[in-house]
Amino acid sequence: MGFANGPIPKATPVRRILALGGHEFSSRPPDRAVCELLLRLAGERGVERPRICILPTASGDTSDQISSFYSAFGERHCEPSDVSLFRLGRRPLELRDHLLDQDLIYVGGGSMLNLLAVWEAHDIASILSLAWRQGIVLAGQSAGAMCWFEAGITKSSGKPLAAAGLGMLEGSLCVHYNNEPERRAAYLDAVGDGMPSGYGLDDYAGLLWEGEGTPAAVTARRGARAYRVSRREDEVAESPLPARFLPAPAPAALREDIAEFRRIKTMRRRAGWLG
Amino acid sequence: MKTAERQIVAFGGGGFSMESGNPLLDDYVLGLTRAERPRVCFLPSASGDADHYIVRFYRAFSAHRCEPSHISLFRREQGPSDLRRHLLSQDLIYVGGGSVVSLLGVWRAHGIDSILREAWESGVILCGLSAGSLCWFAEAVSGFHGEPKRLRGLGLLPFSNCVHYERGAGRGAAYHGFLREGMCGGYAAEDGAALHFTGEELSRVVASRPRARGYRLDVAGSRVVEMQIATTYLGDREAIPAAPLPEALSTAPAA
Repeated sequence: MGFANGPIPKATPVRRILALGGHEFSSRPPDRAVCELLLRLAGERGVERPRICILPTASGDTSDQISSFYSAFGERHCEPSDVSLFRLGRRPLELRDHLLDQDLIYVGGGSMLNLLAVWEAHDIASILSLAWRQGIVLAGQSAGAMCWFEAGITKSSGKPLAAAGLGMLEGSLCVHYNNEPERRAAYLDAVGDGMPSGYGLDDYAGLLWEGEGTPAAVTARRGARAYRVSRREDEVAESPLPARFLPAPAPAALREDIAEFRRIKTMRRRAGWLG
Repeated sequence: MKTAERQIVAFGGGGFSMESGNPLLDDYVLGLTRAERPRVCFLPSASGDADHYIVRFYRAFSAHRCEPSHISLFRREQGPSDLRRHLLSQDLIYVGGGSVVSLLGVWRAHGIDSILREAWESGVILCGLSAGSLCWFAEAVSGFHGEPKRLRGLGLLPFSNCVHYERGAGRGAAYHGFLREGMCGGYAAEDGAALHFTGEELSRVVASRPRARGYRLDVAGSRVVEMQIATTYLGDREAIPAAPLPEALSTAPAA
């Protein structure tokens, strides 16, 4: 079952999770750097053409999130797909087989509360946990990053509030650390009040768990940081973690027909045929 | 002040989601409120709060005939912050179609399930199509994804329910099978037919299409008894509108 696309897994595959503080699937350099990392992690599974699947559940499966994912990965050397739980009526698929056939499962941002509730209703968490144990890379940003931890700080009900996650990773996570002061303040309070210690992630900062032990911090934008946040006696301390910088790759080469179209357009403009 | 009469109108399919240009079912539920400018709140949760669906609700329930609002549980930072207060102040709560499994999951996460029971008990009329119809019953036959499945709803109505009960849709056989396996008896409705319950009693079946029907299903031993229910066509003696095709929102028709 399920390994048609990959090599026979080793006895104990390395469990990998990439948690990202916030990013988009745009063509801007830091976003390209994040996509490059996702592709590299998927490719490390050793298959010729890695399979990458987005779970846009936390957004309510918005077409915006899904189409930006496809525009980021559609022309890269991979096989992108989406599992839209709200749209299964239109596109039925075998959830379990499809997810366990991936090299990387990416979870989009949105409402963490709804994400976990819908996953529970469809029994997705057990599939993801199995995927993780089989060595399929799990990744995500914002709600899609906090969901793997014991707890996070979500604005699913409006104000930032503590919420329980799946608990596959120990401790807690707070995302958009630099951009949302009220979320960070709620996190520091929550950790002070007994939430398990954990991490704060700025937009474009990430933490990569590979196997046991401490995660490696990465950053796709200068100045974006990952913090260890822990309670020490009466106070909560934030200490920035040394992070590896992810350079942005050159923009993807243009497809031949698009390049041709642009050449013609430029020529015409130079010739004064267009305004 | 609202009457304390509890009312649910469960569409087999229809209303603005599926029958653009045929407002008969939507007009019927608005009329039940007996309010001059009824407050109507749309819950698009089963669609994942799809934007295009919300826009279509506001077009169908325009502000000149009611006071429309919606709640997006995926975007709680917008919209009313006190969900309970908002829902209890409505005359009509209209639940859209989509995935009933996701709908119930999200509702529980936000405590909407218990608020809706409270709203129903205080006289707010509840209605919906497809997933928005199945949700009110103790048990439901959902054909949203793959083979028809049996699942639990909110249980306001102590029956089972099956929507889009057209001949040849394959739901009849599945529903009969579930009934023989012990599912409680209940009701089915075709697209265009709506089951109107007062309290826990079916008070009438109305339809936006002349031939749409509702059905009562019971189990007697190992036999399933299916009876067609007399149905009131809401279009009266007017020219019979052709049944329009479902619109692009394919999440709505399939619960």
